[in-house]
Amino acid sequence: MTASSAIALPRCKPDDHSSTSTAQKPTHATLHTDRANQLAICKHTVSSLLYCPGHPLHPLDLTIIVGYLVLITVVGLRLAGRVKSARDFFLAGRSLSWWVIGLSIIGTNIGANSYVGAAGNAFSIGIAQANFEWIGAIPAMILAALVFIPLYWKAGVYSIPEYLGLRYSPSVRVVAALITSVVSVFAIGVALWAIALTLQTYLGWPIWAGIMVTGTIVGAYSIAGGLAAVAFTDIFQVCIMFIGGLVIVGLGISQTGGISGFAETLISENPNHLQTYLPADHESYPWPGVIFGLGLVLSPAYWWAGQAILQRSLGARTQWDASAGMMFAAFGKIFVPLLIVFPGLLALVMHAQIEYPDMALPWIIKNVLPPGISGLMFIAIIAALQSTIDSSVNATSLMLTRDVRYVLIKNANPDNDLKIGRVLTLILLLLSMCTAPLIADMGGIFTFLQTILSLFQGPMLALLILGAFTRRATPKAGLWTLISGVLVATALSYAGVNMLYVAFSSFIYALIALWVLSGFTAPHPNKDLSRLTYSPWRRS
Amino acid sequence: MDPAYLPLEWANYLSMIGFVFLLFLVWLIPRKVVYDDAPDQSLWRDIRLWATLLITFQLLIYAVFN
Repeated sequence: MTASSAIALPRCKPDDHSSTSTAQKPTHATLHTDRANQLAICKHTVSSLLYCPGHPLHPLDLTIIVGYLVLITVVGLRLAGRVKSARDFFLAGRSLSWWVIGLSIIGTNIGANSYVGAAGNAFSIGIAQANFEWIGAIPAMILAALVFIPLYWKAGVYSIPEYLGLRYSPSVRVVAALITSVVSVFAIGVALWAIALTLQTYLGWPIWAGIMVTGTIVGAYSIAGGLAAVAFTDIFQVCIMFIGGLVIVGLGISQTGGISGFAETLISENPNHLQTYLPADHESYPWPGVIFGLGLVLSPAYWWAGQAILQRSLGARTQWDASAGMMFAAFGKIFVPLLIVFPGLLALVMHAQIEYPDMALPWIIKNVLPPGISGLMFIAIIAALQSTIDSSVNATSLMLTRDVRYVLIKNANPDNDLKIGRVLTLILLLLSMCTAPLIADMGGIFTFLQTILSLFQGPMLALLILGAFTRRATPKAGLWTLISGVLVATALSYAGVNMLYVAFSSFIYALIALWVLSGFTAPHPNKDLSRLTYSPWRRS
Repeated sequence: MDPAYLPLEWANYLSMIGFVFLLFLVWLIPRKVVYDDAPDQSLWRDIRLWATLLITFQLLIYAVFN
């Protein structure tokens, strides 16, 4: 689930940025985490364009594909010997260095939707799409590195629900862990289905075979090597994504008359596409919504509370490595638009004749990349999906093993964490593999679950902020704010309010409710909250 | 006030103010906390400097594309 993943908009022509845009108004169902869109995206990406009937696979493509799969499996399995305990499995034995963490964060963050949906949106609205990578990520990542990661580190937790459980109550811990876990199973299923579809259309494999092979490869290194294997394979996957993206940039620029030719065409034909913000009456991305909804709520909620992202930070060898890793990832985010937004602009400059914006990247792959290199983009899409799957599986297994099990089963034995974690990883993958073929029929359920998760983000962020920076927030107030905040967000969403404003409104409501309710409820039983609140000035 | 009528140029001004405010917050964090647990005290390990570079990039980007 990525905060930066794009929303696929059903538009065929570049948007003129006017208030009369025909863009579909984004609701929570079409929010950045919308995997249902990912289905459509991958289907069109791969089915329509990557596969060229009658054209056998180029030997270089085949070499790249086989080489990638062998490399990922070998690297992942080689790290299995390191896993001796639950700490090794879930937190890589707290051994990860800052650059490994940074690259792994980028790999987990970029999904297939980022590639295809972002390019499609860039084709429609221009560089404003990059807000999801810039103002919609970097400020929150900086604060995550300097404030929240040191806080979690000091608390000694394995997960963000565990922190919320310590700061508020076990009920908050289990609610947070369960909602995230249930959605995660479906999200992994969608990603598996997308990979299977890619393999079917590119290599001609049956869907079931694609699911089995991917599930087996990811399962093998995730179950054997845990977070360390996930993080190190992420490094290769990110490198492939960046190489693929840079090849497109290089070839695209050269085919449009160099940088000056590209810029001149873009500026003369689509000047509005170089504006970072869209008008306040834009139906999809009004700038107040982008700044207040995305920048102040959705992005911080993702970067400060996203378990799949932060788990590698908690697996760092030192607190400094954890913080520096996040900061390093933020540097990477500056350049991510080159990989995922630029292809959309390139398609525009090259006057791509496409039926709808999400065809922009596939059109570029087909028309810009020579045979032999298209395999690289195929692998880049597979890598983006795999890095998301392995991280989600490991994070969900952790939350079920510790956050849910510790609360619901009294006297749960921590010595069994490793065994249970591995079994749960296997069960999660099998569940996801079973749901993957049914994804198309279960789209409604999945969208509903995604909606719940996104409605949850504003109130969850309020709990995190007041819990981290004040001692006022109480356990009961936390639980009731979480529940009532989700209800408020639901009501606003069903009233048709733009999802960016829903996020901001529910966040403000939750801040006020938590502050007020805390004045009437019993304080935290632990009088000394210094380990759970951020107070660097006192410590220094 | 209906946010739909807010002028577009306010967006970039607000972003710039936000980034400068963030820079201010970053340098409020004590040096000792930033170096906590760091392998050594080298200047490059001061991640407030990394943050400053990132914010500068952002200011440039939002100044150019406005």
